[in-house]
Parts: sequence; C-alpha cells; structure tokens
Amino acid sequence: MKTIVGKVVVLGHQGVGKTSTVIRYVENSFSQHITPTVGASFFSCKLLIDDITVKLQIWDTAGQERFKAMAPMFYRNANAALIVFDITLRQSFESMQGWVFELKQNVDNPMVLCVVGNKSDLAKNRQVNRDEAIQYAKSIGATYHECSAMHDQGVGLVFDDVARGLIRLLGNSSDHNLKVYDSENIDNIMANSSELEATDTGKEETVNLSINSIAHGNTVKKCC
Amino acid sequence: MPIFALQRSYKYMMYATKQPSLRINQADLKCKNGCGYYGNADWDGYCSKCYRNHMDQERQRKARQSHSDQTKVSGFSKFEEKKRQQTDKKNKYLKSLPVFRKTSSAKDSGRPERHLDLRQANPDADKLTAEFISLYGVWGEQVRRDFFKCVQSFTTKIYSELENKPIEDIAEMAQKYYNLYSNRVNNTETYQEVTTDVRDELLDFFEKYVMVSLYSWLFCPPSTNDEEKDLIIQERIRKLSWVNAHHLDCCISETSIEVRDLVYTAITHLLGMDSMKAPQDKLSCVVSCCQSVVKVLQHCQGGPVSADEFLPALIFIVLKANPARLKSNILYVTRFCNDSRLMQGEAGYYFTNLCCAVSFIENLTAESLNMPQQEFEAYMNGEITSVSAWESALVACEGMHQLCEHLSLLKDLSIRTNTVQDETKKLTDDILKFKEEMNEKVNSVLERTPLIIKPRKTPELSEKVDDTQNSQNFYLQNLQIATSNIDDAKTKLQLDITPCVSKTSPTDDHSLSKINYDIDFSDLSGESSLAELTPEKRKSPSFTPDPFSPVGSSCPITQAPLIPTKPDDFVLPFVETQETLLEKEDEGPNLPSPIKPMTAQYSGFSKQGWQIPSIPCITGELGANASQANSQTSQDKEN
Ligand SMILES: Nc1nc2c(ncn2[C@@H]2O[C@H](COP(=O)(O)OP(=O)(O)OP(=O)(O)O)[C@@H](O)[C@H]2O)c(=O)[nH]1
Ligand SMILES: [Mg+2]
Repeated sequence: MKTIVGKVVVLGHQGVGKTSTVIRYVENSFSQHITPTVGASFFSCKLLIDDITVKLQIWDTAGQERFKAMAPMFYRNANAALIVFDITLRQSFESMQGWVFELKQNVDNPMVLCVVGNKSDLAKNRQVNRDEAIQYAKSIGATYHECSAMHDQGVGLVFDDVARGLIRLLGNSSDHNLKVYDSENIDNIMANSSELEATDTGKEETVNLSINSIAHGNTVKKCC
Repeated sequence: MPIFALQRSYKYMMYATKQPSLRINQADLKCKNGCGYYGNADWDGYCSKCYRNHMDQERQRKARQSHSDQTKVSGFSKFEEKKRQQTDKKNKYLKSLPVFRKTSSAKDSGRPERHLDLRQANPDADKLTAEFISLYGVWGEQVRRDFFKCVQSFTTKIYSELENKPIEDIAEMAQKYYNLYSNRVNNTETYQEVTTDVRDELLDFFEKYVMVSLYSWLFCPPSTNDEEKDLIIQERIRKLSWVNAHHLDCCISETSIEVRDLVYTAITHLLGMDSMKAPQDKLSCVVSCCQSVVKVLQHCQGGPVSADEFLPALIFIVLKANPARLKSNILYVTRFCNDSRLMQGEAGYYFTNLCCAVSFIENLTAESLNMPQQEFEAYMNGEITSVSAWESALVACEGMHQLCEHLSLLKDLSIRTNTVQDETKKLTDDILKFKEEMNEKVNSVLERTPLIIKPRKTPELSEKVDDTQNSQNFYLQNLQIATSNIDDAKTKLQLDITPCVSKTSPTDDHSLSKINYDIDFSDLSGESSLAELTPEKRKSPSFTPDPFSPVGSSCPITQAPLIPTKPDDFVLPFVETQETLLEKEDEGPNLPSPIKPMTAQYSGFSKQGWQIPSIPCITGELGANASQANSQTSQDKEN
C-alpha cells in the first residue's frame, strides 16, 4: 500500500478560471474522499488509483499581473503543474506558452504537465482550435484536457490525470522529489545508523557522501 | 536542457528581488560567473558555489588588507560594514590565539568544554531537556541517550563550523543532519519500539532542540547582512503605511467588529513569530496568522477563499503589522526549518505566501497598486495621507497605539476619580445632614422634656455606701424637692442629674461616687441617643453604670449595650472619620487632577484608536513572555 504526496501548482493568465476549476473539483469530491484543509487557496485531497493513494496538495496562485514575479516561489518543488487557458481568449493561450517556457527554464526536477483549456461551455466563441492545443501539449510532453468549471464538465478528469501522471513519474524517473510513504519498503540503509557517530569525529567527507545518497531517495518508512 | 542539481538552484527563487515584470529575464537568473548555474541576488548574482568562492576570496583579501594597513572607515553609513569586518577580524584573532581556542591538534579534547558552555548558556535547552524526559521518557533510557548524543553531535559540529563556513553551508549541513536523524530513528534498533507517530514527533523535537540551543548563533548571524535587510524592509513598510485594503483590492470590511478583531489576531500572530526560537514554532505563527487572514476573508465575502484574495490580504496584514526582524525571521526559517516542512503542506503554502508578500512589498510600485505614478509619489512623500477610519489607526506606529491606550486608561481613571470624589462629597453631606438632624431631634426632645429632679427610688441601696449616715440625709432632702415637681408625670424622659454633694463634708473624696443619674431612655432609640453623646461625656467615668441609681437593677437601662466597654476603640474612629471628611470637603479634592480637563477636551485620534492592542516595540529576545503578552492583549480585546 503506497501513498504518494504531490504538490500541484495551478498556473495561468488572469481570469481563465484557475480558482473556479480548483474549487469546482474540491466541492465535487467533497462528499467522497476529499479533505479541504482550510477552504482557502490551499487544498489537499486524496485519490485512490490502482491501489495507490495519491495525495494532491493543490496550490492555487494569484493570476494578477502584479503577482507574476512571485510565481517561482510557488512552483518551486512542485511535482505537477496545471496550466490553464481560456479557449475563448487567444491571448490566454499565448500567455500560457510563456508559463510553460518559464517552468521549463526554472524547474529542474521532472514534473507532470497538464494543459487545460477551460470554459468549454463557450465553445461557440472559441478562439483556440482544439487540435492546435493538442498539438502544442504534445510538443511539450503534456496532456491536454478541455473542461468547463462553470458547467462541471471534465474537471474530475483533469485531476485524475494529474494523479496518474504522478504515479507514472514515480515509476519512470529517479530524481523526482515526490514524497512516498511505503509501509513495505524497509530495505532502507541500515548502514546509516553509524553516520552520526562518524560526524562526531569530524570526518566530513564520509558524511557528505552518505548524505547525498539519501537525499535522492526521499523514501520514508511509515505506516498509513 | 541540462539537468541542474536542485540543491544548488532552488534558493534563488525564494526572493524575486527585481521589479515585478512580465517575465524574469533569462540572463538575470544565471550566475554572474558564467558557470551555467543559476544565480541569486542574495548571493550578489552568483550561484551558491561561486558565491562561496567569491566570499572566500573577499575574506582573504580583507584579511590581508587589515594586516597590511588599517582600512579607514568613516561615516555612520559604513558602520555596519565596519562591524562585520571587526567580527571577521575577531574570529580570525580568536582562531590564532591558543588561549581562546585550542590548536587544531587539540581540537577534539577541547570539545567537551565548548559543549559545556553551550549548554550553560541556554536555559531554554534545559527546559527542553526536561520536556523531553517528560514526553519521551517512557521509551526508555536508550532512546534518551541516543537522542542527546545526536543533539550533542549536531550542536558541536555546527558550532565548530560556524566561523569558517557561510551560513548557507551551515543550513545545508543542518538539513543533512535532519535527514540523518530521520534515517536513524526509522532504521535503527534503538528506536524499534517507538511508534510511528512518536518517531515523527521525535524528529520534530530534535529539530526544535538543536535550533533552540543554537538560536543565538544561527539567527541573524553577524556574518550576514540580515540585520541590514531587516532595517531596510522595516523602513520600507513604514513608508508604505498609507497603503490600505482598498489600494490592494482586497475586501476587508472596515465596519465589522469581528473582522477587526480577526485582523488584530492575525497581526498578533505575525508579531509573535519573532519571539519564537524553533523554526517550526515560527512557522506555526505564520500559519496561525494566515488562518486568521482566511477567516477574515471568509467573513467578508463568504465561501471559499482563493489565492487572488488571500495574497493581497496577507500583504495588507504584513504592512500593518510591520513585524520586527521580518527578513531575519524568514531567512532563518528558510535556512533551518526542515525542508520537507517548507516544501509541502499548509505551512509550506502559507510560508511561501508570506515570502511573496514580503517580496511584493519590497518591489511595490505605483503600477502594482494600479495607481497613477504621481499619486503614488505624493503618498510616498507624505503629501497625501490616508484618512480611512480604522486603518489610519492601524497605520499609526506602535507608539501611537500605546498613546491611545494610555489615554483611554487615563480617561477611565479620571472618571473613576470623579465618581470617588462625588461619592465622598455625598457622604460628607450625608454625615453633616445627619448630624444636624440629630442635633435638632435631641434639642427638640430636650425642649419637650426639661430636666427634672426625681426622688431617689431606692433608698436602701445607699446603705451599701460607706457613708451611710450622710446619704440618708440627702435622701430626705431629695425627697422634698421631688415631691414638689412630681406633678409632671407625663414626661417620659426624666434626666435627673443632680450632684448631691454632701455639704457637711465637702472635702470627702468619696463624694463623687454619690453623683446620681436617673436616666430613662425608653422613648429614644439607642442609636440616636448615642449620637448626641459627645465623646467627653462618654469618656467621663461617671458614665459607668451607677450602683447608686435610684432606679436600681429593676429599672430597664436601654442604653446599656451601647455603653462603650472599650471606649477608645469605639469612639475614636468615628470621630476621626468625621473630622477628616469635613476637612477634606473644606479643602476641596486632594488630587489636583490635571487629567480631568485634558480628557474632557480630548476628542480622540480616531473612534477606535484606544481599542487597538498595543504593539510592543521589543518583541525580540523576550521569549515566550512577549508573545503571551501579545495574545493576552488580543484576548482582552476579544473579550
Ligand atoms: N463560462 C464559463 N465561465 C467560467 C468558467 N470558469 C470560470 N469562469 C468565469 O471566469 C471568471 C474568472 O474565474 P476565476 O476562477 O476567478 O479565474 P482565475 O484564473 O482564478 O483568475 P485570477 O485568479 O484572477 O487569475 C469568473 O467570472 C468565472 O465565473 C467556465 O468554465 N465557463
Ligand atoms: Mg484565482
């Protein structure tokens, strides 16, 4: 029985419906398996996918232009990013590409990317072609979803996909910084027990070596 | 795209120190040295590695300089720089002197001593030791010994490296140690019996213990310019004191008392951060503050709160609180709080938001407030001042808060003084009135019932007196007078004070004892009759029950219980109070009370000014007391 904890950051142009989407999802799943922490801009919820519990910590961000410079603080150490645009607003699609570029530049550890075209209920005013969006998503290695936060269409799928993405990330790459709690995984280094004594005698080299090996495997034994 | 080590680059993101712009310029992010890694403004634009090299070179250069020729530093502006140089020098000096520090070969033997003064200097650590034993003592001696062994190893190591390494390296070391201890707790036999929850607690406690022990060395260390940053941001926030909720587009309703209280609670929590020592405690202050902010927003708008509303509200709170040593606190938490706590969860989110708020404040421009440049500058120069009701009260600095509080206290006091004075006056009047009434009553009674001489009713009693013969003579005399006046039978009070002194023996010493009173108080209540009696009368020895009373034991002497058995006790207080009160009234109130006219004219800085909890200027090293005082104030306000 594994539990993955992942940090999901929601980015996008102002007014594309980031907050609406997150709140819609949180409200929807509230009756089932969700624990809205404070009802603020920080939510955490649990999904159960194929025997693995995925705990999503969703960080909503302020989309206003004046807070843009602060975005790096939010997406640092994120495991997944929802990049939202408004399908009725061409500008938001272009601005989204800027976000993706920035993420790619600044985030080193692998990350689940998920492009979301919101306001699908207003498809008649569509300014961004669906195929074009899919094409773009593919080019950056992201998945693409269209949804409507207002009419509650496809919102659940987005977060489901993020959770699956995190599980895939856990399997594929080694330098993800996902927190994994595994009740069976006790094969962790017993050798480390002597490390603290080693540092006591001031052998710094040994310490650093052993620590680096631990730093990557964030595996912590824990009963759930 | 190259994969960079996360450890090296993430910290640049803590502070976006540039002007808010659409996109961060790629060139700005890279290390100045051109090594390909990311740089950070806090590290002079270098990446962590190059910065370290750079600093090492700088230090060496400085050391050489100070050896060859003393650099002349003049002017107050260079004071900080000078201080740091001196610290550097001192460290160097200490290192070179065997008196202060053992030579490197004797380093190990010197350790226990260093460790010892580390412990002695920290009463907080002792408190935590006791706490540890009470909390985790049940897990056995082994756990306890191992815990303290690790603590000791950590503190000694960090302490010994403090002088040689930049604080960022020390922080990294601390993080590694946290990881090490985590592994140790989860994987060694010593901790086998400890339950999972308690293991987590132990990790937290470990972090708390070591950080509290090393607090004075790790918080705002002299090798950094944290202190300068604190002063800069403090000054900046002071200059921005005119910014209100409206400017930030956040909906904090000014009229609701509940909202106001919540805002104060949030501010108090934020201020409390400085008085905590462990990073986790500081962090939990931030969380409490942010939760209050969320409550404020929920109150004002209802429904869930989004980031768009939260961040401006938090900025507002930070602006109004202007917490002491804000930057130092944030940097300390960033450096020494267990990374996993900061990266994730609610605490991480809120702390990130606080960093954002600070960064926003540092880079605030007219544009970020959606305000014309001219207006912004006018505000900054103090040409326009904000006049919003309770916000302007919040704007006022701590001194103003205290002033308002004291004024309200004074007002309260002067009201109370006035009531006391009024009551005193009333009481004096009452006493006077009562005295007059009594005089009148007694006089009227005396008028109605003139003194009459009554015949002795008990001639046989006189036999007991030594001078039996004489008394018999007097009895006969008295009887004669009495029979002449006996017609006035209706009178109820018959006070017969006729000293019947023996004429035949005027020199007789016993004559006094023969004075006879026949007092019949049956008409008057005991209370009023008492008032009539002057002290002299009551004190007079003749007042004692007269064995020669003609009425004898059969006659009901109603005033008997009022006769003072201990005359001094009974009489004096009454007389004194009466006198002093009268004097007081004549002299006027003792307190000249200059307060009274002042508060009467005082109309207030603002309606609610005096309700503002005082924000203590010194929140620093006061420890838990300060925060307790703060929360006390806020509680008082809530009440
Ligand atoms: N028609 C339609 N309107 C939507 C949908 N989602 C959001 N909106 C509307 O879009 C507006 C902006 O929504 P928000 O959720 O505040 O957008 P945001 O991205 O959080 O905005 P910022 O946080 O300011 O960047 C609101 O008026 C919503 O009602 C949708 O699916 N369909
Ligand atoms: Mg939003």
